[in-house]
Amino acid sequence: MSLSCELLHVIQRKGSDEPYGMDSYEGARARWCAGCGDHGILTAVQRLLAAEQLVPEQTVFVSGIGCSSRFPHYLKTYGFHGIHGRALPVSTGIKLHRPELSVFTVMGDGDCTSIGAAHWIHALRYNVDLTVMMLDNAIYGLTKKQTSPTTPQGTVSNTQPRGSYLPAMNPLSVSLGVTNASFVAQTAEWVPAHLYATLRAAYQHKGTSFVRILQRCPVFTPEIFASAVRDPSQIALLVHDDGVIVPEIEKIYKTQIHHDPRDLAAARHYAESDDRIHLGVFFRDPSRPRYEETRRTTPRTPTERNTRLEEEFDKYAV
Amino acid sequence: MTISAGTTSAVAPQTGAPPAHLRVREHTIEIVSDSGEGAQKCGQIFAAVSAKMGNGIWTVEIIPAEVQPPPRVPEGASGNRIRVGAGPVTNWGDQTDLVVAFNEQALLARHRVGALAPDAILLIEEMWATSQDPAIVAAWEAAMEELSTREYRIIPVPMQEQCLTLVENPRKGKNMFALGMLAYIYDRDMERIRDQIATAFRKKSEAVYDSNVSLVNLGYQWAQEHIGFRIDVPPAPIDTPLVVMNGNEAIGMGAIAAGFELCAMYPITPATSVSHYLSEVFERFGGVVHQAEDEIAAAGVAIGASYAGKVALTITSGPGLALKTEFLGLAIMTETPLVVVDVQRGGPSTGLPTKVEQSDLLAALFGQPGDAPHVIVAPATIEECFHVMITARRIAETFRAVVMVLTDANLATGVAPYPRPTLDSQWQAAPIDLAPVGDSDLPYAWEEETGLSRRIVPGQPGGMFTLTGLSHDERSKVAYSSGIHQHSSAMRSRKLAVLQSVLTPPVVYGDEEGGDLLVVGWGSTKGAIEEAVDRVRADGLKVSSLHLRFLSPLEPGIKAILQRFTKVVAVEINYSDDPDAPYITEENRRRGQMAMLLRSSTLVDVDSWTRVPGEPLRPGSIVTAIRERVLSGGAA
Amino acid sequence: MLSDPRVAVALDALAQPIAEFRAAVEGALTQASGFLDAHHASPAIRASRAAFELGEFATGRIDAGRFATLFPPLGSGDPASLAMLDRAVQTLEAVNGEASDLFVTEVTEGRKLGATIDAALARAGQAFGAIVLAELIRAGRYDAATHDRLLDPAEFRTWNRAERRFAPPLVIVLRGADLHSGALTDFADGRAKLVLVVSGPCAPAPLARCITPGTFVMQTVDGAGLDQVASFDGPAIVAMVPEGCTTFTHDPRGGAEGWQRLSIGTNAVAPKAPIDGISVWQMAEDVRLLTDLARTPFSVPARDGTGTPAIGAEDAVDRVTQWLLGQTGLQDGA
Ligand SMILES: Cc1ncc(C[n+]2csc(CCOP(=O)(O)OP(=O)(O)O)c2C)c(N)n1
Ligand SMILES: [Mg+2]
Repeated sequence: MSLSCELLHVIQRKGSDEPYGMDSYEGARARWCAGCGDHGILTAVQRLLAAEQLVPEQTVFVSGIGCSSRFPHYLKTYGFHGIHGRALPVSTGIKLHRPELSVFTVMGDGDCTSIGAAHWIHALRYNVDLTVMMLDNAIYGLTKKQTSPTTPQGTVSNTQPRGSYLPAMNPLSVSLGVTNASFVAQTAEWVPAHLYATLRAAYQHKGTSFVRILQRCPVFTPEIFASAVRDPSQIALLVHDDGVIVPEIEKIYKTQIHHDPRDLAAARHYAESDDRIHLGVFFRDPSRPRYEETRRTTPRTPTERNTRLEEEFDKYAV
Repeated sequence: MTISAGTTSAVAPQTGAPPAHLRVREHTIEIVSDSGEGAQKCGQIFAAVSAKMGNGIWTVEIIPAEVQPPPRVPEGASGNRIRVGAGPVTNWGDQTDLVVAFNEQALLARHRVGALAPDAILLIEEMWATSQDPAIVAAWEAAMEELSTREYRIIPVPMQEQCLTLVENPRKGKNMFALGMLAYIYDRDMERIRDQIATAFRKKSEAVYDSNVSLVNLGYQWAQEHIGFRIDVPPAPIDTPLVVMNGNEAIGMGAIAAGFELCAMYPITPATSVSHYLSEVFERFGGVVHQAEDEIAAAGVAIGASYAGKVALTITSGPGLALKTEFLGLAIMTETPLVVVDVQRGGPSTGLPTKVEQSDLLAALFGQPGDAPHVIVAPATIEECFHVMITARRIAETFRAVVMVLTDANLATGVAPYPRPTLDSQWQAAPIDLAPVGDSDLPYAWEEETGLSRRIVPGQPGGMFTLTGLSHDERSKVAYSSGIHQHSSAMRSRKLAVLQSVLTPPVVYGDEEGGDLLVVGWGSTKGAIEEAVDRVRADGLKVSSLHLRFLSPLEPGIKAILQRFTKVVAVEINYSDDPDAPYITEENRRRGQMAMLLRSSTLVDVDSWTRVPGEPLRPGSIVTAIRERVLSGGAA
Repeated sequence: MLSDPRVAVALDALAQPIAEFRAAVEGALTQASGFLDAHHASPAIRASRAAFELGEFATGRIDAGRFATLFPPLGSGDPASLAMLDRAVQTLEAVNGEASDLFVTEVTEGRKLGATIDAALARAGQAFGAIVLAELIRAGRYDAATHDRLLDPAEFRTWNRAERRFAPPLVIVLRGADLHSGALTDFADGRAKLVLVVSGPCAPAPLARCITPGTFVMQTVDGAGLDQVASFDGPAIVAMVPEGCTTFTHDPRGGAEGWQRLSIGTNAVAPKAPIDGISVWQMAEDVRLLTDLARTPFSVPARDGTGTPAIGAEDAVDRVTQWLLGQTGLQDGA
């Protein structure tokens, strides 16, 4: 099926090789609050789509529910804005049935690590070729400031007004703990060049690429990332040929750690150390099996199917 | 109780008792043992051979309550129950006429649940009576005592002793010996039995086949020498090719015939065997069975696949259906076609995992919060389990609808023959249509009159829209305005009315003109209800029945049919209060689910007779209920 | 020569891409003929089709005639478009009707390898054209002036990116003397899969010069390893060579360095006499090239990125690429 899909696309563009620009992917006007980190992520994604020249009709953005999950509406690709926490199963279904489509999944922190936690873990294990973005503002934005699993301990919210009770969950170490996870990265929306480079590496990786994007919420949690934004020395970049290298920010972010993304033990170490916020590719292993590849079947025409079904009936014939 | 020729000695040919040739229209046979002794295999072969000879059959499995019960306990009874008829058999019937039991405890279990006819013939392994273990002997004697309260005719059989003459481990051979006895008693075609053994053990060696055949011969011979009667259920020649399978296999094959390519599921009894079957063969048909992390994810994967292409399938049972609820609402809201099979079991909660019930109807219909119109169909036979999948997929696709298929454990595990389908490639899903989308094409281009619209699939140039579970307009723009929500709700609902407009009214079984009582049923109870109706009509009662397949939308013309009868009663396998129970009044009585549905949609005073015994309804008990309803002045 | 048992082995290994191509053709055919039927059919025929599609459960339960009226045929059915669609359908039917011939060809006496491949693929190109045409007509976007030529046979040279990705696999039966690698590299693009079944006297490593970093290249005697071809997401050129030739596999998935990708089974020595137009020097050069490419560097970078960089590793790839570009005159990257 992918055949006529691609052929048609060429005709649709009248054979023109005019490249897609960032504006080719522009959907409805984004309705996030002014100063919301999601705007920058949207821009980085448009940049990525244009850089990779992804065909809009062969690209699908799937999301859950939350401020961040409005994402697909603001793009001119196919989109599926589903239910809270469950963007990943939908993405898996799309990719299983139509492996030729490029599938992106956008989730909030509550979406991914709380209500959707089971799907998150299992999606990492299936390792279907998806680019997964978790927009982590460490709070429930859409429902107006409730504690999320990634909310720092002690943060006041509407559900935990005396400060959140538990230490925040670390989505990186959880992801790194999942057998068969193949790509785990972290970036921050206020470092656009790094964001873009990380998303690009994630897209280019074949398998489930999990990217946690630290994202500012100017309304409910302006303080959470404020000091890291102001003080680049709180950030350490993990750099490697097989991860991301962003020369233009190296002057600002002086702490750089050479980290081979194949080194899982080191990845876990950096994920857990809280002296600094580490940005970069923590782990990448392109050799992990991908579920949709493992499960790929040979397509059968209706006639072939019926011939084989007759054989099945023979087994049950009286 | 008649104990033939004592409990321990070899049995001499009987005199006096039943005629040498008992000719009957039907007979129900059970083979019970501890699990692992092969009673099921014996039953399956017997049933298959009977079907091939031209008898109607309906087989149900007798499943032990535990996975690995200890030996010789009533809870461990395992085996098969086969109702053999001269004509087609549509249900499991009433009570068992003849049992072969490998120990007296398994037999006791069947006796205690009232499975056995008062005059049933019981062929029982006699070795336990003379066991070295006094506890076993005591148990045997207590059992004989308990069984003696009925008029059973008990025939002790030295199965162990006989099998030992041929094999070292009779535990593995008794089932074939039993098969041989049954072959003699029911005069089964030995050639066919050998063929069937060859098929059943095809993966094993020649030696296994030979040993099984000689055990069958031994059983046959023994019966010939020691049992003084034969039972003749005349077979009718078969004029159309038949296939024999259970309802879950039929659903699996139906899914293939309908061209499904993805079935997402999470294991749950009694639905799982569909996916077992599909997992075995689906890849050869270009299909994938995806075992998801839970039922929610299974629904999500199916919706994702459907959204991106061909209609996908998810299969579950009650508890799983509950989990899928939110996703089903999403599929309905985004008008993403989807087929959901719910193989019902006893509930609520974990309930009766392996047992039949029809109590998911209202949950299936109204389970999704918000207004969530969708289609529900209920196949009534194993054959319909196959064919319904084709219709369900087609309706889902053309109406952009969620179609639920309600079956139950009775259909799932019952085995019966049906005419071999003549496959048609038009049953299968067309390839995904990726033609470019026109400038005026919208993701929900509702036709005002019908609510129907054509869906757009990723890959179609020009169709880049974002579908959403939020209320939306034709362009899929999120819209909170009351006008838009009112309109889009109407469009989704209208589709059901439109579907109903092309349905034909259901056909009354019995008297179309009306009468004293109409029995209404749905799903797997059809065979039992119609058999009961036949029996009371033969006695002159003016009783008919109506069996519904479309439960949402309901088939048209039902109200008019109901009104032609003095009384209407819905017979179902779900719970309802007994009208005579303490505290129960006409006002507070909780009725069966179909009864509630019919009352609300027709305003006819539909009565309810339901039972939740964890087993299929017996025609005999429906007959009793019908007589009560017709004779009593109540409930009209 | 088409009866060579190795042809069946090759077809077997290519079953997946063949099935994909077939499914695409049959899919387009079903859609297109469904569209034609819908526009030509009387209400009665539409009703009977609806009845078939609804299956037997619907018999007596759904009024197929009324059901059919709910779903009128889509798109415009103007006579010119329908006539053209009819032609597209015929083309697709013809392609669909060809058994494995579509995927097997032979370099016959007097024909060149390149021309043979071109002719075989042109048939598939025609199918692509027909598919696109059918879709355009169904979508109501057909324009005779620009679209009619879509049904002409189209040479690989003219194929666009998508078509190259979906090029059907091809098994080519030929004599060793006809095997010139220059003719093959033209087709190494998209996901083209070429499997050569070679008999008669043959150079030891005729495919050495097809090696580029992204092309799967293999020489095998018994077909071992052929199963890797179908799953490779890129162009592949494979030869099933006679006994005595070099066997090797160049799998781009092996790594970034030439030596990581290339594994040599047996490396034959170049013969002393020319084979038809292939000189002794050319054959020896093939063998040397392979040996060169397979040479491992004497130092490997340490895991932490310190240590000396690999010497020769990158060079090998660069060298062969340079060299190849020089040989094929493709510097402009066509
Ligand atoms: C089943 C369900 N439970 C709860 C909600 C309410 N809800 C919507 S979004 C949300 C949390 C959003 O937080 P997050 O996922 O972090 O996304 P953000 O808005 O911060 O981007 C909640 C609880 C819902 N829509 N569905
Ligand atoms: Mg959040």
